[in-house]
Amino acid sequence: MKKFIHSLVVLFYWSLCGTGVWAQQEVWIQKGIWEVGAENVPVIRLTPDTIWSDQNKVFSLTEETGDFLTVHNLDSLDHTWFIESSGADDVVIPAGGSAELELPALAMGCYRLGLSDLSGYRLGGSSMLQVGLPDIAFDSTALYHWNLSDWSTAEMMSIAAGEIPDEEAPYVPTQFTINERTYPATVEDPNALVQLNLGDSCLIAIANHGLMDHVLHFHGFHVSIVSSTHHPERVGWSKDTVPVRKGEGLTVQLVANQPGTYPVHDHNLIAVTNAGFYPGGMLTQIIVAP
Amino acid sequence: MKQFLVSICLAVACVGVLPAQTLPPQLFSGMEGFTFLPDGTAVPIWGYGWVSDGFITLPAPLLTYEEGDQVQLNFTNPSPESHTIHLHGLDVDQANDGVPGTSFFVATGGQTTYSFSANYPGTFLYHCHVTTTLHLTMGMYGMVLVTRPDQTLFEGGPAYAEDVPLLFSDLEIATNLDPVGSFPFHDIRPDVFMVNGVSGSQLEAGERIIHYEPGQPVALRLGSMAYSRMELTFPAELNATCYMSDGRPVPVPFGVESLTIYPGERFTVLINPDANWDGHITCDYWSMVDETLEGSNALHVRDAALHIAEAEGTEIVGWPNPARSSITWSHGDALSVWDAFGRLVCVTNLQNGVLSVVGWEPGTYVARFEDGRTARFVVSE
Repeated sequence: MKKFIHSLVVLFYWSLCGTGVWAQQEVWIQKGIWEVGAENVPVIRLTPDTIWSDQNKVFSLTEETGDFLTVHNLDSLDHTWFIESSGADDVVIPAGGSAELELPALAMGCYRLGLSDLSGYRLGGSSMLQVGLPDIAFDSTALYHWNLSDWSTAEMMSIAAGEIPDEEAPYVPTQFTINERTYPATVEDPNALVQLNLGDSCLIAIANHGLMDHVLHFHGFHVSIVSSTHHPERVGWSKDTVPVRKGEGLTVQLVANQPGTYPVHDHNLIAVTNAGFYPGGMLTQIIVAP
Repeated sequence: MKQFLVSICLAVACVGVLPAQTLPPQLFSGMEGFTFLPDGTAVPIWGYGWVSDGFITLPAPLLTYEEGDQVQLNFTNPSPESHTIHLHGLDVDQANDGVPGTSFFVATGGQTTYSFSANYPGTFLYHCHVTTTLHLTMGMYGMVLVTRPDQTLFEGGPAYAEDVPLLFSDLEIATNLDPVGSFPFHDIRPDVFMVNGVSGSQLEAGERIIHYEPGQPVALRLGSMAYSRMELTFPAELNATCYMSDGRPVPVPFGVESLTIYPGERFTVLINPDANWDGHITCDYWSMVDETLEGSNALHVRDAALHIAEAEGTEIVGWPNPARSSITWSHGDALSVWDAFGRLVCVTNLQNGVLSVVGWEPGTYVARFEDGRTARFVVSE
């Protein structure tokens, strides 16, 4: 009897989730410290609960199905929430307050979302919304995600101190990340390190949150572009060097057709450094077991 | 042996006539070359060259293969640092990938053979993957073309008359002058912007102009090893169509008025220009960091029927070469001479074309004449 009631509760829960009437998703905006190299940098992150994490939460949504999201702002500043290329309005989340937002129905793909105000964006409160991924149409059950960004840590320090950056001053990024990690820490991140068996395939959702365009070069493989918010005309292209423009959300499919360990890295080569040291930065690996 | 391997860059690469060689397939790496800017400034470079030539070039020699070739690319490294060859876009296996951490590097004095199958026709690149940020800006890159014997771009693809490799790149003079002092690498900001290793007025030299026969499409093999983002503008009279990117056909070929090429990307664009056309493809170099326009070049395209006899590429010959006491030049009255380390040796007027080399250190030198032409010569014991 107890088992039966439990099953009913589970069924009820999933029916609500499926119809999108329950605000099932929540996120917390938090300020904290990011250890990158020898620096401790004040940052903002989107976390799945009130526990601090220096990596941003990744969101998901069923294809062409809206949902609701509750955003809690634990910071002392107001922040503005946006979803790029979605048509949704920006929403201000008051300091210390919460807001319930509607996630719009979207086509399959990867979209940038997060904070668009100065400190929210420049201190790193950005992530991705995966819609309809993994997609069975691509026969890929494995899904990885790469949130790309570039950082001027000196500028972040001054923004965190309440200063307005001089937009005329040269931008000098010193750190380049995948999922808020620099190489070699990227290969310790199970979402950044791609691990497959020979013959398997996966999807990789990629979003560029930085102030620069980035261009990822895949060693050993060509990937197929499955979705792009900025260049949808490139869906179906097979590429080994894939530009990811500022603000772009992109999905690629990788077929593991040869065994081995292969790097993937930004081919803007200043971005494969950590505070100027090579190798580092926006670099991870694909490992294909024979 | 050491003298033989002292490398000199002659900036001989030219539009449509990149130095190509398939036999013997033996590349070497060098760190003692230099290239000339349009104003005559010599800038040190590192790079690759054919062992049979004995000097490195900027860009490195064009590697050409046919679809289906089983390639054995021999490589020797006599230079003071380790190097590799990464075959960019050819999807070679891990062992041949040319990445020190996951493959292997070739230490000073070492040699190896890279093996791979040229399975796909198209435009590819190669470059050193040791301390890549530095070794690329120093010049260690080149282009790979995989073509088909029936002169079509790919199976079922369009036919064309001629390949024109166009490799975009850039360098920062301060880095090339002082590679050791170039840290931190994220500060590299290029200030020389090149197509096939030359820039500005050098691209107007006769042999660098892209000549076409009306009705015979020309395949522009576009690739970038630049730090910049390339923006190319194709005048409508070129009737440009993009068929391939990164060595694969694009699903739907598209007409091209402008084309963005990011570092490491390649495109194959067929042009079939109107008859009697004479104009330029504009190539803008945009900073990837701050989105500023850093430089521009113009590629001259002209109907072959409009070709006029102009001073182009008349080779200057010196003899004897190697020289012991003097070398006599076929042309020129005044010249400057540079040694293998980019140092100016002399600036002098010639008497009856004769340059005395008495007392000179044995080695390889570059003579640069008043009209900008260069010639390499060797002084022996």
